[in-house]
Amino acid sequence: SPAPSMATAPTTAPSSSSSTAAISAQTPTTTFTATSSSPSTFPFPPHHTFPPFFTLQPNSSTRRTQLQLWTALILAYCRHTRTFRLAPIDAQDWPLFHNATLRRRLALRDIREVLSFMASTEGGGRAEWVSDAGKKAECWVYWRRPEEWAGLLEGWVDATGQRGAVLTLYELVEGDACRGQEWAGMDVELLQKCLQVLVKKGKAGIFGEEQPGVKFF
Amino acid sequence: MSSTRRRPGLSAFSRSQLTQSQYTTHGQTLRASQTAALSSQLEVFQSLLHTFSVTHAKDIRADPGFRAEFARMCNAIGVDPLASSQKPRTAAAAGKGGGGGSLWAQMLGSSVQDFYFELAVRVVEVCRATRGENGGLMEVGEVRRRVKRGPRGGVAAVGVGMEEVTDDDILRAVKSLEPLGSGFAVIGLGSRQMIRSVPKELNTDQSMVLEALQVLGFVTVSMLRDNLGWEGARAMAVTQDLVSDSLVWVDSQAGETEYWTPTFIHDTGGQ
Repeated sequence: SPAPSMATAPTTAPSSSSSTAAISAQTPTTTFTATSSSPSTFPFPPHHTFPPFFTLQPNSSTRRTQLQLWTALILAYCRHTRTFRLAPIDAQDWPLFHNATLRRRLALRDIREVLSFMASTEGGGRAEWVSDAGKKAECWVYWRRPEEWAGLLEGWVDATGQRGAVLTLYELVEGDACRGQEWAGMDVELLQKCLQVLVKKGKAGIFGEEQPGVKFF
Repeated sequence: MSSTRRRPGLSAFSRSQLTQSQYTTHGQTLRASQTAALSSQLEVFQSLLHTFSVTHAKDIRADPGFRAEFARMCNAIGVDPLASSQKPRTAAAAGKGGGGGSLWAQMLGSSVQDFYFELAVRVVEVCRATRGENGGLMEVGEVRRRVKRGPRGGVAAVGVGMEEVTDDDILRAVKSLEPLGSGFAVIGLGSRQMIRSVPKELNTDQSMVLEALQVLGFVTVSMLRDNLGWEGARAMAVTQDLVSDSLVWVDSQAGETEYWTPTFIHDTGGQ
């Protein structure tokens, strides 16, 4: 079974993210299952059945390790379930944060603390609080960074010969054409963030208010 | 005849002295030749062993059984295989790269010494990487599993015979680190062998609680009071010590605060 060992899950160091060039060189139709998988098939690591894992540790060096382990776990879980956006109040009952068999759960305020760590430089910038959703109410979970998504999208556009064509943002994440792609089902707001990376490089343009569209140059 | 007993004369005296010195010389000659014979026999043996090991070095490296046997043999004759020893007895051994270095290097060629050196380096890496999780105390089996898995993001432990690493090998590698004063040591906790990688010494109370933890997985202050007869203050002091040294994790969602050993992370429900 493809158990993501904690030793190989996405690291917290920013320098570990793949370059955009490397991503776009890959064929967009990659070998993994692009449809989201159920939480019940997620292979939880050994830490998830360790009761203290759900208590924020008082010792600072132990806590730092704990935060790193939670970061890796959250990223792997969100990737598995194709979760792009996480609201602590809703997520606190997910099997991720609540181990019913063990009768342990990560408290709401501790979930927020973990996500804040993930959003920090030390945590690798793997999360970002959604700005207009109220203080620490929701956050983006970057199991792929916006730059990585940008590269994947660009690669797919090239492979499908759609450079120069106009695509609505909606069809990019919901349409038939994107079925089976990793970004299928992505929040349009997050998609815009990712496309902005390309816009800044002059490789794409977004326009239209009512039905926003994008053109890859 | 004037007397029945002949007093020893000067000639008799000098004769016995001659004989004595002849015997002495003869004895010395015997000893010298025996020593020379023994010495040359040992040299022949050493040279043959060296030749054998250089020829089969790769197999020896890959065979933990042989390594264990060799180490047992060395200990039986009072030799520390990993310690540096004197100059080689034969020029031949020196010529084959056996000049100086540990007995491993002399007897078996440098590849076995390399094996333990590399292993020690990996043990240090594993301990350093996990110190945040376990405060520098880790069970030998867990060290072995992680050494075989290889460094994170790096090349897995292949090509250096690391697939066949045993707990014995780990313990030997750690022992070779002890003289460096780096804090590495092997500690027995109950029936388990632990690798300690920080110089902190554990007092008796702390050791007792850690030993109990290896069996139970967790303790509470009540458990220490009831089973060890400790006063509350003493029990709390020890648990706080262990928390400060990051040797235990705290679970505050049980009825009473539980202090868990991280060695149980991989014992229960893990892969």
